[in-house]
Amino acid sequence: MSTGPLHSDEMLELVAVYALGALPPDDARAVSEHIVLCDECRAEYRALRPVADVLGYAAEERIDDVRSARMKSGLMRRVQPGAPPRAATERRPPARRAPLWPAYLVAAAAIVIALINIMATVDLRAELASSRDRIAQLEAQNESGLRAEARDREMIADLVATDSKKFAVPGGEVISRDGRLYMTMDKLPVPPAGHVYQAWTLARGAKAVAPSVTFVPNKTGVAVVALPESANDVVAVAVSIEPTGGSQQPTTKPLFVRPLE
Amino acid sequence: MDDNLGLFARLRERDINAFEVLYDRYHRLVFGIAHRMLGEPAAAEDLVQSVFLKLWSTPDVFRAGNFGAWISRVTRNQALDILRSKAMRAIDEMPADIPSEGTVDEVVFARIDGARVRDALRALPDDQRIPIELGFFGGITHEQIAEQLNVPLGTIKTRIRSGLRRLREGMQAQVLR
Repeated sequence: MSTGPLHSDEMLELVAVYALGALPPDDARAVSEHIVLCDECRAEYRALRPVADVLGYAAEERIDDVRSARMKSGLMRRVQPGAPPRAATERRPPARRAPLWPAYLVAAAAIVIALINIMATVDLRAELASSRDRIAQLEAQNESGLRAEARDREMIADLVATDSKKFAVPGGEVISRDGRLYMTMDKLPVPPAGHVYQAWTLARGAKAVAPSVTFVPNKTGVAVVALPESANDVVAVAVSIEPTGGSQQPTTKPLFVRPLE
Repeated sequence: MDDNLGLFARLRERDINAFEVLYDRYHRLVFGIAHRMLGEPAAAEDLVQSVFLKLWSTPDVFRAGNFGAWISRVTRNQALDILRSKAMRAIDEMPADIPSEGTVDEVVFARIDGARVRDALRALPDDQRIPIELGFFGGITHEQIAEQLNVPLGTIKTRIRSGLRRLREGMQAQVLR
């Protein structure tokens, strides 16, 4: 039973493109709203979305042992057993958080109102299920936006905190606070074509530096970089220019090597 | 995978061993998607770290369903966020898991793996496979796909839909044969 407006194959094709994730935002919003109201398009979406979701499996690839070990150790260092969920420790000023809610609540309310209007003529259970799906999506998006915003706020707070440790380097600073590690640099020249800047860290007790993140400055030469390594384990930071994609060990003379003491 | 359910229960209890098992099981998938979309191994590594740190910090975000499909979508969204950051378009999104069509789908998509997806993609004619791969991994819109391939927009939409339906049938046939 179709509960929405009459539509053509063209609408179903748009639903397929939406399931693939290849619609521009305005079109995607329109299709998502239509799907809530239309059984046929919702069925098409539910048939094709799982297909699109597993397309990523085609890219699964082997990772060499060195890279794999480095990735895992970097991640596990940042994951402390028993640590509370990040959301529970974030300080979110209500004034910043408040504006995010109304838009989603309004959107959710609009969907609910739309559903109420058509409930008289449609299958009640199906529509309630679809509204729950849609609202759950909105809630998830909202939570994600809040987390990203909180992460940015955490970084900004660390960078300006009076109790952060700052180590001067040419054109900037290395900053650490509560185990987190950042670099801020100004007037950094654009690296040569095919090259990027790469950070290096020397772990306590290590005899050689390990590769960290690669980065490029913005148009005005500013780079603010969060290093994934724990500041508690790092005794020195260096930066060099490396080919795009980074190197396993420095291939050019470092711009600086800064002990963190 | 069914044993994922137990892992998530443990993850919500802050069990680092459960987190490590999930990482070992899925990091190649996350890295592969990120690498293919971003083109740089270092950027892909950063994205792997970001995706798994999010999972650790907010394990409740994944509620139920196919975890592999879910984390693929999360990875793709974060990669798109990076690709489109020059245009200052934040599309950071942790997608809700979408219910599939029922028992057959649950069986099929829970048992799908990289080899089966690659086989199904290879079985598509190029005029369907290429727009789908550009849309998913290239992170571009159907209008940009049409422009890039110099094919009318309506044709691209038709090919994407036909291709996805054919992929669905191919995956079902592989898993259920």
